[in-house]
Amino acid sequence: MVIIRNIYMISLLLPAFTACSRTEVNPEPQPYALVVPGNFPAAAVMMDNPLTKQGVELGRMLFYDPRLSGNNRISCASCHHPEKAFSDGLALSAAGVSGNRLHRHAPALINMAWANNGLFWDGGSTNLESQAFGPLAHPDEMFQNLQELTDELNALPAYRDLFRLVFREEINPSFVVRALAQFQRTLISGNSRYDKFIRREPGGNMSNIELRGLELFGRNCSSCHTGALFTDNDYHNNGLDADFSNDAAEGIYQGRFRVTYNPDDLGKFRTPTVRNILLTAPYMHDGRMATIEEVLQHYSQGVKVSATTAAGLVRNGTGGLQLSQEEQQAIIAFLGTLTDSTFIHNNALGKPVLP
Amino acid sequence: MLTLPKNTCFGGQDTFYPLLKRTMKHIFTFALITATSFLAACSKDNDPIAEYAGQASVTFDAKVGGEDFSLGKAFTIEGKTYTFTQLRYWVSNISFTNEKGEIYKVPASYYLIEENSKINTQDGAYEYPARKRETISLSNIPAGNYKSITFSIGVDSVYNKNMSLQAGELSQLNGMTNISWMWHTSYIFSSLKGSMTADGATKNIIVETGLNTNYRTLTVDFTAPVRISTAKTTAVNFTVDVEKIIDGVDLTATPVIGAGQPAAMTRVADNYKQGAIVLQTASSK
Repeated sequence: MVIIRNIYMISLLLPAFTACSRTEVNPEPQPYALVVPGNFPAAAVMMDNPLTKQGVELGRMLFYDPRLSGNNRISCASCHHPEKAFSDGLALSAAGVSGNRLHRHAPALINMAWANNGLFWDGGSTNLESQAFGPLAHPDEMFQNLQELTDELNALPAYRDLFRLVFREEINPSFVVRALAQFQRTLISGNSRYDKFIRREPGGNMSNIELRGLELFGRNCSSCHTGALFTDNDYHNNGLDADFSNDAAEGIYQGRFRVTYNPDDLGKFRTPTVRNILLTAPYMHDGRMATIEEVLQHYSQGVKVSATTAAGLVRNGTGGLQLSQEEQQAIIAFLGTLTDSTFIHNNALGKPVLP
Repeated sequence: MLTLPKNTCFGGQDTFYPLLKRTMKHIFTFALITATSFLAACSKDNDPIAEYAGQASVTFDAKVGGEDFSLGKAFTIEGKTYTFTQLRYWVSNISFTNEKGEIYKVPASYYLIEENSKINTQDGAYEYPARKRETISLSNIPAGNYKSITFSIGVDSVYNKNMSLQAGELSQLNGMTNISWMWHTSYIFSSLKGSMTADGATKNIIVETGLNTNYRTLTVDFTAPVRISTAKTTAVNFTVDVEKIIDGVDLTATPVIGAGQPAAMTRVADNYKQGAIVLQTASSK
């Protein structure tokens, strides 16, 4: 398979050497059409960075390449493992160049092509292209000198040729983040048992307790974990805390307020999808909950009420959905049907041969 | 032989191909103008030398009140002593309006006006050299009599919301964005840094603006129309008064102004638009 791909790549790159001849047509990257599951809405199209087969492949190489970090030991995949639905299993990682513990839990990367209302837990980043500069440059993450990165990639003919094919220009940091964004938009998970159930496909069987969980989820959780994507891409205070006066670390504890400076946004964080949720523990923006049982316990009885707490999580002035143990177990059983093994074992999303 | 790419997929957002197309268009326009003026020249007996698209320089001369701005020099503003280490801001989307009301937009016009000593960017990983740049040189402006200039301080939302789009001097490598601002997806629109001494206490000051809401556009009328063409040397000179940039902002109470101080930041952005930048001369010789 790898050999076949390499031959394919070489055949694509060959015309580049003869491009100066006026009779040759310049090789062009081929459009890449996202494979959108039948039960999904249409994905937003990023007009500024149209997907191409070669752009996605380049982004995949870069995503797994530790050369992207300052010490050449950390890649994007160091904190976004494919087998954990592109999360890292840690509450707060210290895997960055500095070794300092981060303030935020590494989010899972699932269905990013639909994430059209801000990235990061507080939504300060507007698109995957701009977002990538954050982890690339941050001293506690990849701490890469962007000029050095350009030089390092330029030293490798395979990258030089691929960048030129995809972007028609020499390597620069903008193209690195564009390629990464292209690959991330192909991280589509829509082939879980639940999806097969919804699409009435073979293998789409759900047990009674899972069906009961689905019904309970629809009543209690789906106002935020909405639709086929299981997220409304919006920001809510889910009652983890009630005091947001700590403005240390540039307001990192204040939720979306640090982006909007609107007091109504204190303690609000982006709704993550619950797809593959059993693969992406621990939970919440700071990874404070180790297990899914703790999460259900929180939503049932642990919600702290403050001025910005989501109204749907407060019943008669008391925080929490007041779910019984049996109801919590049923919801967890349902959440298990959202695990998509074809997503985490998809070779096209895994580590490629690096230049 | 130049061949234009057929791939419209990339034509809309890449910087190079539109530039190429634009250049081709300019060549075409130029040829048309040449042909037209040649024909016109034939029909007249004593025609003056034909005039083509010309150049203009636009200068932003930094001041502190009546004095010349200078790094490391002590200035007194409202009884406090200031010493500056940096003044930088984006001048973008420059256009000229002629007497007929026709607008010429300078393509890819994102210029960094600055006076700073060496800057360590990315927490010291990269060094940006000391630089003083107050003048922008523009060329290929269609010949004409222009009555006003329009420009903005900051970066428009199209480029500011996607930092992988680049045009003109926009870059991640010149220190006009950093980790804090990347959280917000914004270039630093303007930056004034230094120290302030009041009542014997010295504080470092950082006055930054950014975010789409603080993008400001100025249109400045010339006192008399200014000719731009190959036959002329055209210079537009502004002064930029640092005293006015920080007008109405209490740096004693808030020595650091940035995204976390939205009201003060908006005041500074407004100051750039209203009062700090003043036209001194616009001449054509």
